[in-house]
Formats: sequence, C-alpha cells, structure tokens
Amino acid sequence: MSRRRIGLALAAASFAWGCATSLAHAADISFWTWRQEDKAAYNALFADFTKANPDIHVKFESFPDENYPTIVSTALAGGKGGDVIHTHAYGWLEQFVKAGYFEPLDMATVPSLANQPADALVSGTYRADKKVYSLPFASQTLGLFINKDVFAKAGLTPPTTWDEFITVSKALKEKGIYPLANGMGTSWFNEMFVAIFTNPFLGQDFVSDLTSGKTTFKDPRYVAALGKLLELRPYMPDGFEGIDYETAGQLFLSGKAAMLAGGSFDIATYRSQNPAINMDFVAPPMAKAGDTPQATKFFDGGYAVNSKSANKEAALKLVNWMGTKEFGDKFSALLGNISPIKGVVIKDELLSHVAKLNETAMPHINVVYFRFEKPTGSELLQGDITKMMSGSITPDQLAADLTDGLAKWYKPFQGK
Amino acid sequence: MRDRGETIRNGAIQLLLAGNAVIMIYPLFVMVASSFKTNAEIFSSPLSLPTHFSSANLEKVWTETNFVRYLANSVGITAASVALILLFSTLASYAIARYRFRLSSLVLMFFLSGMTVPLKLAIIPLFIQLDTLGLVDSYLGLVLVYVAMGIPSAVFIMTGFLRTLPRELEESARMDGASELRIMWSIMLPLARPALVIVAIQNAVPIWNDFFFPLVLITSDNLKTLPQGLTVFVGEFTTDWGVLFTGLTLAALPITLLYIVLSKQFISGITQGAVK
Amino acid sequence: MTEGWRHTAKPFAWRRSLWIAALLTPALLVMVLFVLWPLLSAFRFAFYEFNGLRPSGFIGLENFRKVLFEKPYSDWTWNAFKHNVIAFLALMLFENGTAFLIAFALLKALPGHRIHQVIVFLPVVLSAVIVGFLWKLFLHPLFGLVNQLLGLVGIGAVPWLGNENTALGSILFANIWHWLGFPTLVLLAGMQRISKDVLEAARLDGAGDYALMTKIVWPLIAPSVTIVTILTFIGSFNWFEIPYVMAGLTGSPGGSTDVLGLYFYRTAFGSTTTGIQDFGQGSALAVLMFVFVAGITAIALRYLRRREIEQ
Repeated sequence: MSRRRIGLALAAASFAWGCATSLAHAADISFWTWRQEDKAAYNALFADFTKANPDIHVKFESFPDENYPTIVSTALAGGKGGDVIHTHAYGWLEQFVKAGYFEPLDMATVPSLANQPADALVSGTYRADKKVYSLPFASQTLGLFINKDVFAKAGLTPPTTWDEFITVSKALKEKGIYPLANGMGTSWFNEMFVAIFTNPFLGQDFVSDLTSGKTTFKDPRYVAALGKLLELRPYMPDGFEGIDYETAGQLFLSGKAAMLAGGSFDIATYRSQNPAINMDFVAPPMAKAGDTPQATKFFDGGYAVNSKSANKEAALKLVNWMGTKEFGDKFSALLGNISPIKGVVIKDELLSHVAKLNETAMPHINVVYFRFEKPTGSELLQGDITKMMSGSITPDQLAADLTDGLAKWYKPFQGK
Repeated sequence: MRDRGETIRNGAIQLLLAGNAVIMIYPLFVMVASSFKTNAEIFSSPLSLPTHFSSANLEKVWTETNFVRYLANSVGITAASVALILLFSTLASYAIARYRFRLSSLVLMFFLSGMTVPLKLAIIPLFIQLDTLGLVDSYLGLVLVYVAMGIPSAVFIMTGFLRTLPRELEESARMDGASELRIMWSIMLPLARPALVIVAIQNAVPIWNDFFFPLVLITSDNLKTLPQGLTVFVGEFTTDWGVLFTGLTLAALPITLLYIVLSKQFISGITQGAVK
Repeated sequence: MTEGWRHTAKPFAWRRSLWIAALLTPALLVMVLFVLWPLLSAFRFAFYEFNGLRPSGFIGLENFRKVLFEKPYSDWTWNAFKHNVIAFLALMLFENGTAFLIAFALLKALPGHRIHQVIVFLPVVLSAVIVGFLWKLFLHPLFGLVNQLLGLVGIGAVPWLGNENTALGSILFANIWHWLGFPTLVLLAGMQRISKDVLEAARLDGAGDYALMTKIVWPLIAPSVTIVTILTFIGSFNWFEIPYVMAGLTGSPGGSTDVLGLYFYRTAFGSTTTGIQDFGQGSALAVLMFVFVAGITAIALRYLRRREIEQ
C-alpha cells in the first residue's frame, strides 16, 4: 500500500468519523442494566411511565452481564453512570452502598416501598443502617422443569420424591432419554444446582441452625445432602462435566432430556424458543413422601438511584413507579418474572403455580447469607463443586473448605 | 538419490502446510455457516451446511443496529490509533536503537514495563484521569488509551528490528552530510518496513476487536464501536445462536476482508526485509 | 550497537540530546499520562483495606501477605501461577516450535507458499471472543466436531472443557490456533533476513535441511527469537481472554484453568455470580505480577541480547 493510499484511507476514515454531540434535556434519565434481553419489555414499561410523566424520558442502556460490575463501579467511582441502576442484591449491593454511591430510599421519596413484603426488602437493605437502597424487582424460584410430553410418551409420571426420581430416571435412561439435562459446565448455575437438590434434604431447621450459629456446613445433614448429588451423575448426559447451562436448556427443549433443574427466570425464554413445548415447573424431589415441597427462592436485585445523578428527583419518581402494582402487573406479564409487589396479579398459569411454590420455598442459602465478604460462599462452593462431582474430592472436603473459608469473616464459624 | 530424498521431504512439507491450512480455515467456515442456521440446527448438526440460506439474522442486525455508524467509528478509531502508535513508537525506538545515550536501556525498560501488567487493572484511575481531561465518551480518549497500550510492544519490536539494520548505510549518509532527520526518514525507516507491518497488524487486530474499553469509556450510541455495538445487540438475543454467529461474523468480516485484500502487500512487506 | 554522533564535534552535543529527547517525548508523554499514572494510582490501592468500593484505611503489606500466604487466597494464587507457568512452557514448545517449523517450510518457497502465508495468519485477525466461542463449540461433549470425529473410532463423549485434566490443554490448543501465525511471521521475517549467500554456501557444503535449520537458521534468527520469547512470556502471564471466554471468570472446572489474569480481575472487580470486589487484594496481585514479569523480562532480555551479539 502506497503512502498516499494510506493517507487517503485515513482522510476518508476521519471524514466518516465526524464529530458527535449529544443533545440532552433536563428530564432525560437513563436506566442501566445487565438485562440486555429485556430491552423491548423495559422500553414498553418506560413508555407507560412517560405517558404518566410526560416531562421524563427514560433511556434503556444495557451492558454485558459479565462486565457489568466493572463498568458500573468504574462509572460510579468517576461520578458518572446511569440515573437509575439495576443492582444485584445482598452483598453485591452493600459494597456500593458502603462507598456512598446510592441514594437511600424512604417512604417520603418512594412511597411504593410499602408494597414490598419484608423478605424482599431485606435483599435491598444495607445491614448496618437498616435503610433500603434498592427497590426489589423480582423473586426467582429454582426447581425442576418437566417436559410433560416426554413423560407421557415414555408412559411415566414425573417424580415427587427422591426415590421416585431415581426409579423414573432409570426407566428414562433405558429408553434412551437423558433423565436430567444438566451438566457442570456453567459455574454460576452449579451453585443453583446444588441449592435445588440439597435444599429438600436440609429443611428450614438447618437454615435456622446455620444462621443462628448452632452449626456449620460441616453438619452431617449438609454433607449427606451433598452426597445425594453424587447419585445424580448416572442420570446426567454423557460428558456432563462439560455440558453448560445453555446446552442443558437445548437438550430439554428438544426433548432429548426429560427434566432440567433450572430457574423460573427462564420460563419465558424457553417458551419463546419452543412455543410448542408442554412443560411444567415443579419442586425438586422431596427427601421422603409427605414432606413439604421445597423449591428455592431468592431475590435477584433491585433498582437503585445514583447519588450523583443530576436528575435525582426524576430518578426517584421512576423508582417509585417501579414499585407500583401497575408496573408489577405488566412487568410480570411481559418478562415472565415474579414481581414481589403485593397484589400483583399473575395471569400466566405456570407462573402462578411457581408463585405458589414460593410460599413454602427455602432461601438460597449462599446467596442470601454468605455473599457479604471475601471469600464468599459462592466462590468457595463454585470452585469445589465440580471437583466433588468429578470425584476428586469428597462431600466432607467440600463442606470443610466451605466452612473454613467462610470462617475468615463469618464469626459463628470460627474455631469450628 | 539426493533428489528423491528432496522430493519426499518437500512432499512432507507440503502435507504439513496443507494440514495446517485445513485446521486454520475450517473453523471459520463453520462460523459463517452457523450464522444462517437456527438454534436446533447448530446443536444437532453443527458441521453441515445450513439447510436453507436465510438472511433473517443478517437483516435483524442490519435494521436494528446502527451498523454503518459503528463500522465507521471502528475504522476511524483503529486507523487513528495504529497511525499514532506507528509514529510515536518508531520515533522512540529509533532513538533507543540507533543512538547511544546514558538512559537508553532504562527508557526501553520503562516502555517494556508498560506491557507487563494489564491496563484493565487501572480502569478506575484511568477513567477518572480521562474525565479530568474531558475525554470520557469521546473518540480521542479511546484512541489515546489504545495508543498508550500499543506503544510498549511496538517499541519493543521496532527496537529489536532497528538494531539489526547495518550501520554502514547510516554512516555513509552521514559522511555525505545528510541530516539526522533525513537519515531516519529516507534511509533507515524504509528498511524497517517489515517491522512496521508487523506492529501495525499486531495492534490493529486487538484494537479492532476490543470491546472492554469502549464499554467503559463510550456511552453515546453514535460513538460506539462495532464490537461494542454488536456485543450489546447480540446480548438481547442471548439464546439465539444464529444471531450470535451473525454478529460474530459481521464483527470479524471487515478486518478479515481487509487482511485478505491487503495480504499481498502485507506478506511482501514482511518478507521485503530479505537482505540481498 | 550504533554509536550515532559520537565522533562529531562537541558543540553539537546539545543538539543531539535535543534530537533524542524530541524523538522520545511523544511516546513517553502518552505512556506517562495513560499508563504510568493510572497504574501507579491503582498500585497504591494495594496498601489499603477495602470495605466496599472505597479504600478505608492504610494496612501496609497486609494484602500481599494474604494473597501469598493466607489460605484460601494463597492456594488460589499459587494454583493460578502454576497454570501461567504451564501456559508459558506449552506455548514456547508447541506454538513457537510449530511456528518455527512452518516458517522454515515457508522459507523454502515451495509452490503455494504465498497462499499458506496468508492462511496461517488468518486466525490472528479474529477476536479472542470469536476464537474461544468457536472452539468451545468444537469441543462440546455431545455435538462438538472433535468428539464426533473421535466417535468414529469409538471413543465416547469426552468433556474436554469439563474435565480438570483436559481443560487447560484444550484452552491452550485454542490459543495456539489463534496466535500461531504471529510467531510464524516474525520468525519468517527473521529468516528472510539471512543472507542468501550464507544459505547457498551451506548447501554447497552439503548441509541438509536439518543441518541448515539447526546450524545456520536457528542461530541467525536470534533477534526474532528474542522478540517471540519475550512476547510469549509476557503474554502467558497476562493471559486472560481465551480462558475467560472458554472457561469463565472462575477458571472452571474447579479452578483447573485459573490463571493470574482471571484471578486478579475476579478479585478486583468481582463477578455478579461469585461475589464482591476487593481492589486492595486485586491490586496487590497486580503489583506482584508486575514485579515478577518485569523482573524476569529484564533479566531474560539481557541474556537474550547477549546471545544475539555473540552471533
């Protein structure tokens, strides 16, 4: 390439480049989120908001999930960032609050807080000052997807207890169907997987013993529940160690697998991918017949107001509106998520069934209690669980690693 | 006897190269083919040709993103960054390689140390620094970051090459009374063309493909780069693999085509350094 | 080493210094503003405790002690470090070794060598995201190309990326596929600079390809080898993108693909699914990486340069 041609190319490029200015007027606010796939739904919701508040326009800005913490913490450290910020819950939120990046929400500025149930508010509350900083947006339920058609074709009934689960799985496997679609290829989901299958064996008593400091993860109940996971291995796909959550979803949707441990957050996605699918979402297998069905529930996150926002008033107005029944109804209908707002009507049959499971659900122990300081329960568990499932460590070792790691900051575990 | 051995050996070399070529090309073929497929097809028959060529994914990307704008932004930012990297690092490495001065090895080590740790670490101070200079959400800010990131390895490679140039040419020009600037520009730099080509491509590729820094530093839609715009766009279809592959293919296509079109110049640029 | 104006008259000395300074200034200025200053600011965090996203107090070397000597952090640090070392050795041997062979083959200028030069470099222009993603798909236990081929000879579904013993190797393979063209062309450019007379003379003396390769070409491309070695070393210890795309931020499975780049990023910026951010520890890791990589690079460079001069 001659020098002149490079010069021409450069000139052309800088011409095309141009110069850009952004026009912003006072009531333009932005909403930052990692939920890229929810763009259409949020834009519809924001259009409703603007109808009621004609002077406020909301811009939807989404970022890739895996870079979201970096982008948000960098922008906020520089005094920038969206006016309303979608946050994760619990420990993730707290580190931002500690740095003073978010505005506290109270009944004066955000009266719709009154519509939130107490357990939801906990997910957006800073433990030290008991103030709410993030308005909870959805509860997520973890359980078992059932492909009803596959079961009907195989002439089997979906299992409710562990023993049934094993029997049914054996039968499915003989017919050449993967009983359980899941693998161990997606770290964050592995943690969910553990919660789904261990919670029915742990029960609410274990959670209260754990959180009151009476016991640790070395508890025989926890070790035994982990041991149950090993029994699942023959019923997962070949090479399950390398099967990621996306693949598991595809195996389930295509009918190659009969069941999938998953989250209510994927109901809408699965329906849009295979509208013909005849599926159910049930509680994972109970320890024994007659137990209470125990799905796992946690709150995902919420909406917070940037304390450096130039339009704090408008931002608070938006967040307040996002706590109303009007928002919750449409949010649940559009996104297939369960809004925690009191009085929200969930029309969808499957989703209202999930909401019912929530009434007896167990908390997602690691997410709710052990993500506040380093090392988090999540990173310890995610690091060890693949090793346990591949047989290179035992459930005892995992329980010990988890307990000893958490003991660094979680006082009740120290010296145990 | 010798000839026969030679033939066999050359045959083996051709076989090695051909095998290598297949391994290099085939995955690219799969990527392009997958962009025409549905989810189910990608999973059930990832290796076959698509059953029908549907341009639906392509249309989706074309109509729902600011594709042309993103493309122009990426071209501008990459071209400007690479040009400045070449200019600044050539000057600096020329000083380090061709002159003996007290701090020269220290200066080289300073440049080198710039690439021993990822700049991602410093994203927060960097953001604040750019903000102070009023360069957040601007082309210039992004370009300067890329230039700063590219200079260390560019200086390293250029210094290595410039050192090996024969000093007789330089000396005789100096005898003839040529100025230092003239010696550098007309005599030495043309000889360094292979290194310049390597540095250019080595920097153009990661800059073109980067979406981390634009994600953090650029928020206006009309300033977004192609990988950034497509990353966000594809994210709206997290479970639609066909759209994902279309996005990947489109993001890779411009630079791949450019490389193929310029490959003759590129290769001859590199091999032109052959002495005698 | 060229000596420039050493022989010229004294009055010109200040002009010479000015000239050198003018050459160095633009690059130095950009580096100081956008690399040195931000990095030093970030390094400062290594000596602070973080409780939340802002520094809460000076704690001296505490963060360093934690990442080096306190479990579980120290286990994670050494585990990641070990994988960086493995990556460096593997890339030197397999990537640069193959690159040397291919470059030598291309040097022979057999029919079709031009098209091969173009092809070998083609993957280099792709982004790590694309490469990682493609190879993840190829290595898929059920649908992947690799297992379908192995299936033909009766080997069952191997979870390449899911098995602790094969995951790192698989990722290294993808990395080699991606970058092979770069060392190939750098080495080829070095080989092309060897005088044809030298090669001809060796041939006339009856040297075969092997002798030519080991006795003539290898020693004479020392400067290119220096470049490739140093860049491979730095690249291996800053390795981030391909493992990130293929194995995620946690270096799954079970940390068997964790490298310092991932570990430090995860520590400093957290991930939405494993937990919280700690700039203090993250910066301490980065300082350690910096000291180690810069230190070894300086020593290696001195050694490699001496080898060049001896030739």
